[in-house]
Amino acid sequence: MKSKQIAIVLSGLLAFSATTAMAQVDEADAMKLLDSSKCLKCHSVDKKKDGPSYKEVAAKYKGKADAVAKLTKHVTEPSKVKVDGEEEDHGTVKTRDQEKVKNLVNFILTR
Amino acid sequence: MSESSKPGLFARGWRALRQPRAALSLLGMFALFFAGIIFWGGFNTAMEATNTLEFCTGCHEMQSTVFQEYKTTIHYANRTGVRAICSDCHVPKDWVHKMARKIQASGEVYGKIMGVIDTKEKFEAKRYELAKRAWTRMVTTDSIECRNCHHLDSMSPEVQTEKAQRRHAKAKKEGLTCVECHFGIAHKEPAGDETPSDLKRRLMAKP
Repeated sequence: MKSKQIAIVLSGLLAFSATTAMAQVDEADAMKLLDSSKCLKCHSVDKKKDGPSYKEVAAKYKGKADAVAKLTKHVTEPSKVKVDGEEEDHGTVKTRDQEKVKNLVNFILTR
Repeated sequence: MSESSKPGLFARGWRALRQPRAALSLLGMFALFFAGIIFWGGFNTAMEATNTLEFCTGCHEMQSTVFQEYKTTIHYANRTGVRAICSDCHVPKDWVHKMARKIQASGEVYGKIMGVIDTKEKFEAKRYELAKRAWTRMVTTDSIECRNCHHLDSMSPEVQTEKAQRRHAKAKKEGLTCVECHFGIAHKEPAGDETPSDLKRRLMAKP
């Protein structure tokens, strides 16, 4: 069936594009998600605020094999962080869309 | 009654005032005084007209960039409907500093004529420099434009989040100025190394 062939081709393309996701960060989408999840209240891309800059985060995770997994866990699961010597709740990203989360993590790691 | 050849001071004064030319002079003085009031009102009205949102966003440089960003923020629309417009944050309220800023603004007119930021690309290239100018004004006045409306002592801690309470207590203790934490809130934060805190440290550093 023609539609079945199209489906196979499309899923093949999708699988291919997924592997090259690292190279195709949607910056605008990542920034929008950071803003709506209130991350930018404590983080900036290049400046130190209450939290480290994303440049600093990228440098910290550089070359680490589990970088994506660790960062994804940090932004999606509640945790505690130390600010001014006191422990505070670290926020989580406000979306259930795993593709958006993946894009965001890649955005941070490539700053 | 005293035998004085010259009339007393009051008598002389009263006689002078009763001359026609005196009446005209007095009338002239009052007329000038009221004309001065009208002139002052006109001058002030014109000055305040340059502080309106419509005036500031009359230039496309502002309209298509910072105005669009500001429209998505809390200073534009919020629960209580209290809006801060361009001049609330960028033009001092007291007369002397307001005049100084308006004279400085002639540089902006020149920039408009020369098209310094008349495209999005040119604006983005200059964004960091322009932001640093605004941050410099704020750190050197202890964020006076913020404090025109917001006061640390007027904050009700019980309706603030725990985090906000902690941060504001820290600000009070360490003498931080508003903009050191609250920057990039009405317009997009520019890419660049220096924060308002860095600027403050640099500007207030003892030689």
